[in-house]
Amino acid sequence: MTALETTHAPNPTGTAAAKAAAPAPLLAARGLRKAFELGGRSIEVLHGVDLDIYSGDRIAIVGRSGSGKSTLLHLLGALDVPTAGTVRWLGEDLQGKSDEETAAFRNKMIGFVFQFHHLLPELTALDNVLMPALIARQPRKVAQERAAWLLEMVGLAHRLGHHPGELSGGEQQRVALARALVMAPRAVLADEPTGNLDAATADEIHALIHRLHQETGAAFVVVSHSKELSGRMDRVLEMRDGRLLTPGTTQNDTTPTDGAAPTAEVVA
Amino acid sequence: MMLRLLKLALRNVLRSRARSLLTMGAIGFGVLMTLVLGAFIAGLGNAIIDNVVKGKVGAIQVHRKGYDDVRENQPLDLDLPADAPWLAEIAALPGVTGVAPRLVFSGILSNGSQSGNFVGVGVDPRHDARALPARRQGLAGQHIGDDPGATAVAVMGKQLADALDAKVARSGVAGGEGATLSLQAATAEGQQNAMDVELIGSVDADTPFDSKRLVYVPLAFAQELLSMPGRITEVVVAVEDRGQVDAIAAQIAARLGTDYEVRTWDQLRPNVADLVRVQRMVLGAIGVVFLVIAVIGVVNTMLMSVMERTREIGTMMAVGVRRSRITLLFLAEGLALSLIGGGVGALLALALVSAVASAGGLQVTPPGGTSLFALIPVVPLWLYAPTLALTLLGTLLAAAGPAWRASRLRPVEALRAL
Repeated sequence: MTALETTHAPNPTGTAAAKAAAPAPLLAARGLRKAFELGGRSIEVLHGVDLDIYSGDRIAIVGRSGSGKSTLLHLLGALDVPTAGTVRWLGEDLQGKSDEETAAFRNKMIGFVFQFHHLLPELTALDNVLMPALIARQPRKVAQERAAWLLEMVGLAHRLGHHPGELSGGEQQRVALARALVMAPRAVLADEPTGNLDAATADEIHALIHRLHQETGAAFVVVSHSKELSGRMDRVLEMRDGRLLTPGTTQNDTTPTDGAAPTAEVVA
Repeated sequence: MMLRLLKLALRNVLRSRARSLLTMGAIGFGVLMTLVLGAFIAGLGNAIIDNVVKGKVGAIQVHRKGYDDVRENQPLDLDLPADAPWLAEIAALPGVTGVAPRLVFSGILSNGSQSGNFVGVGVDPRHDARALPARRQGLAGQHIGDDPGATAVAVMGKQLADALDAKVARSGVAGGEGATLSLQAATAEGQQNAMDVELIGSVDADTPFDSKRLVYVPLAFAQELLSMPGRITEVVVAVEDRGQVDAIAAQIAARLGTDYEVRTWDQLRPNVADLVRVQRMVLGAIGVVFLVIAVIGVVNTMLMSVMERTREIGTMMAVGVRRSRITLLFLAEGLALSLIGGGVGALLALALVSAVASAGGLQVTPPGGTSLFALIPVVPLWLYAPTLALTLLGTLLAAAGPAWRASRLRPVEALRAL
């Protein structure tokens, strides 16, 4: 099976239709707080964030560095645990999961893309893309076909056997995108995927992200500085000082933000 | 998955080649030193035991019941016939390579102006050399039986000969102008008797008793001196394989019944058995020290490895690798280090020991002695299993801490590490 098959239908009409068809969000964050210990003092970087992410959403999270964007993304993907508040995946609290369940969640439900590609240097591009599938104990042959097909889709058909060190920054990020998609996740979380690339390469990656969104129907949540990218996303959420300036949910149970005018929220 | 884990671990080992080599070197060196040292200590133990078993007391001795309690007095009344039929039966037992009758007595030795006490051993020239193939250890001159025609001859400890200013016969045979000495002893009936002997050999032995007290004479000479024709007090039994000593001793004891005592070499010379035991304990202690050094190296390597790979650990967690797998990955790395290092060390030890052994061993001087003997190291196979098992266990324990630490990282902090 080589089709980019996900458990849900592609969503060409945007979030509104998705909400109508499936009102329950994929990911729901409520009252999310995160504090870090620094030199014996506790510094809170997230001050209570509410956010719903629906199937097929295309969301940009923007804001200055230090505003808490990446921290939010990590909490959404269970790469970190919140100090207070909850993250629910299809109604299930992520904090209640065992280590094994959390690992399975990261493996199957979510695809991650990082600013620094975080590919394993000893593995080829193909094996890097393959890894999540092997962790999920998929047959090697099936997984290999899908990984090769994904690499072809991101334009790296000729680079399967190369190691990350032999690839350019843009190519590395393409491999990372292919790896994020190999398990056909319902959500892809990308943390400044183009933050380390030159403008031209960044544009290529942005175009690729949009194309992948179209073809897979997965929700894409991208933390980015790039105006070019955020301008093309369905929702743009601005963060400042650990708060969302834009309401992240449509329900009324959100705590109001600090009164700053919402930045452009594009809802199709 | 397990295989892939090992492959990944092996890749990690190969990745920081210099550090891995150093660690494997430390492990290999520890194993090599322990095994080589063990080979030499086992060889030394063998040499010491052989010296006693093949040169002095034999593997097994048979006496009349009660002899052992009074053996320091060299009693003559606990004697037995030299032609007892069971002597041939013992000689015919499988694994027995020689049976030598002896007559042990004591008396006074004199050169005409000086005299001293001695313990005499009348040995059967026909059987003694076979039962005690190493009796020439430290011998200058000839031994009893080398010249079957020589009847009134003696071989004695070098210090005893020196004390009496007695020269060994020039060619080592009777009539070669060796010193003439007078042996005086009480017969079985209690009368004093004296006979002259010519000194044909002296033994530079490693114990004071052997060197200062012992005098060997032909059995017939001793029987005449003591008026005990056809009688002996001791039977020395030699065996082919030292591992069979206890079994053969039990067979002999069963055959002879309760009128006789059957003693093995380690009962006859308990200090030798103790010495060998102590050597093994020292070896064990040294082996543990080497192991500890190697294990510290492994701890260091694994900590470095975890630190260097923190980001990779984060990546692996982000794509769904379980914490337990992360632990296993680093344990596998430790295992790989230990298997390769320990394996190479063990093979090198085998090669080195075999090379030295096939070259005839090392020529060394035993403590207290002046003569050289060949120390032939033996590959102590019994040492391989515990050495390698302990190394493996130590390495896994050393890797466990860092491995656990790696698995406890939060993915996000692991990803952020530089």
